[in-house]
Amino acid sequence: MIRFKIAACAWIVALALGAGTGLPAHAQFKQVPTDPGWMAKKAEMTKLGIDKKSAWDLYQYFKEQAKGGTINPDPHNLPDWTGVWTREASPFEFDPDQKPGGLPTAKLTPKYQEQLDKILAMRKKGIEYDPISACGVPPGMPRWLAEPFLREFVDMPSEALLINESGNDIRRVYTDGRGHPPKEDQYPLYNGDSIGFWDGNKLVIHTDELMEGIYQRGQPTHSDQVETVEIWQKTDPKTMDVFVWIYDPPSLEQPWFMRQRYKKLTNDDKSLRIRYWACGENPNNDITKEKNGASTFTDFTFTKEDDKKKGDKK
Amino acid sequence: MKYLLRSLAIGLFLIASSWAAVSASAHHSSFMYDMNKTVTIKGVVKEFQYTNPHSWLILETKKPDGTMLSWGFEAEGPSTLMRAGIRKSTIKPGMTLTITGHPMKDGRPAAAWISATTQDGTVLNPRKGFVAK
Repeated sequence: MIRFKIAACAWIVALALGAGTGLPAHAQFKQVPTDPGWMAKKAEMTKLGIDKKSAWDLYQYFKEQAKGGTINPDPHNLPDWTGVWTREASPFEFDPDQKPGGLPTAKLTPKYQEQLDKILAMRKKGIEYDPISACGVPPGMPRWLAEPFLREFVDMPSEALLINESGNDIRRVYTDGRGHPPKEDQYPLYNGDSIGFWDGNKLVIHTDELMEGIYQRGQPTHSDQVETVEIWQKTDPKTMDVFVWIYDPPSLEQPWFMRQRYKKLTNDDKSLRIRYWACGENPNNDITKEKNGASTFTDFTFTKEDDKKKGDKK
Repeated sequence: MKYLLRSLAIGLFLIASSWAAVSASAHHSSFMYDMNKTVTIKGVVKEFQYTNPHSWLILETKKPDGTMLSWGFEAEGPSTLMRAGIRKSTIKPGMTLTITGHPMKDGRPAAAWISATTQDGTVLNPRKGFVAK
């Protein structure tokens, strides 16, 4: 009995010794260094977005600049986007220029600022639930841009496939000259409807028909009026830079501009491959939303301790 | 005291104050874990669930009262683990590991995997898989 008490004490002491050694999640990722001149360029691109009334106006501006752009390009003229890629920055900051753990760089309307303040206040209490925890719900655009995992970008004459491994999440960008569906036929889509054209080695994309959503946990929310303009360009053999303008009048005081950057991964042994996977393939990843809004694992398979808890949930 | 020291020495439950990290948690909040605590366990691998969006490493360890207890350690999915050099074949059932993680706040025997060390000293850190190189 005495031995058991001593051993139990050792167990408790051990747990206590561990306190205070953790780092917040964002501390794992180093902020991507800002290259010289980037902030000036960012200010210039932000102003360009502000000068245009809408995402569609900005897209048309770029099309005029490209003298109509190229549709259905000769495949030999398309840039080489092959390989396996991933986002360089932490997934926790939608704008890579946001300081880790800092506030988002978006200029939010009062209503959406209030929503963000509530989200951040709840996080301080440890209360958070991510909509994508309910497996089957994808991140959706624009959040798609900031998700982790592997990516493939497939540029073809009539369309480009922008693929995120996470949940087999594919965006199709039609570059065959078609327009968006008529407004009366549109309905909310997680990744929206994307059309584009080529301007040399740059792919310019307009996306609408989106759903309301959140940019990432701890980040702002947006309305279903959100639209985006993107310019994709491979700037060196290992870097894909994407300029993004987000328009959403209900949530943004002005268009939100940022640069998303993806890096081509070294894959000499070809071991990195995009695999089909389902979010619910392992029951240990099943998440329940508690009554107070917090997340918890529903029922682990490796312990019986929570079996009763599972029964309570149902 | 002898038993106390032996209990610690055999490493059933040890705590390491190594640099800590937490799962980037592609699809769920990390707040179920206590980021201010770490737990280190020496145990025998029961199963390595190499799955998406998160993998789970299940270990069996002996409690001070002699009974067995299963612990689960959550890490990223296969592609991130591969980038960290952790393949499906890297961790086999029956292997003895010492593993550190952030424990669940609710007391269930699960943790966010920070780092594991094999008996030959190899360190397995899933978080290395997030480096874009």
